[in-house]
Amino acid sequence: MTAPALALRDVSLGYDGRQILRGVTFTVEDGEFCALLGPNGAGKTTLLRGMLGLLPVLRGTIEYGIDRRTSPPGYVPQRDSLDPIFPLTVLEVVLMGTFARLRPLQTAGRRQHRLAMDCLAQVGLEAIAKQPFWALSGGQKERILIARALAAEPQLLLLDEPTAGVDPGATVAIMDAITRLNRERGLTVILVSHQLRIVRQVVRSVIWVDDGGAVKGTAEDLLSPERIADVFGAVAAGG
Amino acid sequence: MSALAEILSSNFLLRDALVGSVLVGLVCPLVGVYFVLRRMIFLGVALPQLSAAGIAFSFIGYRVAVGVHEHGNVSERSLAMVGAFVFTLVGLLVLTAFERRGRETVEARIGVTYAIAAALTILFLAVDPHGDAEMVNLLKGDILSTTRESLTMLASLLGAVVLVLFAFRKEFLLVSFDRDLAIVFGKRAALWDGLLYMLIGVTISLGVMTAGPLVTFGFLVVPPLTARLVTRRMLSFSLVAAMLGGAAAFGGFYCAYRMDLPLGPAEVALASLVLFVVGAASMARQAAARMRTP
Repeated sequence: MTAPALALRDVSLGYDGRQILRGVTFTVEDGEFCALLGPNGAGKTTLLRGMLGLLPVLRGTIEYGIDRRTSPPGYVPQRDSLDPIFPLTVLEVVLMGTFARLRPLQTAGRRQHRLAMDCLAQVGLEAIAKQPFWALSGGQKERILIARALAAEPQLLLLDEPTAGVDPGATVAIMDAITRLNRERGLTVILVSHQLRIVRQVVRSVIWVDDGGAVKGTAEDLLSPERIADVFGAVAAGG
Repeated sequence: MSALAEILSSNFLLRDALVGSVLVGLVCPLVGVYFVLRRMIFLGVALPQLSAAGIAFSFIGYRVAVGVHEHGNVSERSLAMVGAFVFTLVGLLVLTAFERRGRETVEARIGVTYAIAAALTILFLAVDPHGDAEMVNLLKGDILSTTRESLTMLASLLGAVVLVLFAFRKEFLLVSFDRDLAIVFGKRAALWDGLLYMLIGVTISLGVMTAGPLVTFGFLVVPPLTARLVTRRMLSFSLVAAMLGGAAAFGGFYCAYRMDLPLGPAEVALASLVLFVVGAASMARQAAARMRTP
């Protein structure tokens, strides 16, 4: 039996000493595709940031099945968190992913450029490598950020609402790319999303965040129409 | 002989001043690029003023601790450098620490810092009875008084700043563009921020001592803003900003020499003129592109 990709034991997370989530315990198995869901303001992003090591753990432990120093996780932030003042081409953005495995004074060479182009090809955007990043559509930017996460050669990929604010066609392209990475490369994926209908089609398990805690279960159990109607209303449950 | 040929001749009387001016013009924008990208432009006003206060304070400190300071000895610039660097670095660290946890606006904090620094500079000078013309010149950044020794120190320190900036440019880019990703990758973001702030502190201190707060602020901000309009990649952004700064410094020196103008304002005015011209061309190009779009 292989070690889980991620194990949280009695974890409490919050800001400035104030607990937002308490007693969170679950494991994410190697190669699992997991959605992080819950009502607005429930603490989904807090939990994601805790799993990424961006928030100090107030109590409990988070264990990784990988050595984070040699194999850091891939991370796709919300694209609005990035500042468009930076003059960057698509290739420069993706190359940043390769910095994960470069030491100080080591520069991105041919291997890193090949890897970046390969990652762009995996999201179907290698043709626009030289274009300015900020001139792209929301859906394209999101796929570029996924390529950047892949350039870190991760075993664990965490995404913060990659389909927020993109059109339906782009949403399908993004979810297709993520699903392929999980199925074909065995990448463990944890995804924060509000797109319940699409998430229900692709994930096997769900981490449900609500009422200051989080539980993990199968998509069938946690995304039943009755439960969704209870939390989000009848429209979401039907969609 | 034309003014240009005179300036370029090997035995030009103000050759050291010219070289010093161009060095400041080349290196300040390389640091200023991060001011623009991290949206810290107003810090570019406050920090040179803090640096000036540090210079004034260092002389008072020397007088209180050691005794009357004789101007003109070799340690004068070193003393001023230490004062300028310490005030700049401490100011930068305090302002950035407040930025992460404060509730007031960034502009308010920087505005208060500028007001305090300007008042302290004047008060320190007033308190020191030896605050004579030479010290005032040092605070104003009298570039024409640049000597071979001070030029050597300037070139060595600014050369080191450029080397470190380019050697660690991927780290500086990562923590500036996506700090969270840097932390996820296990990079020590606070350490890289600290190193960048140190480089900023050294550059501003040297810039203020060589060319004064006005010119230093001008070169920190104006060439990067111009370069931002014409470049699409990070490396070309930095290089074009540095080249624009160096060219403005040389052009400003030429205009000042030819037309008998004050040097610092001539350099900043020329750099700003380039910004306005490039900005107008950029706006015209965007307007034309919008008109072509159906």
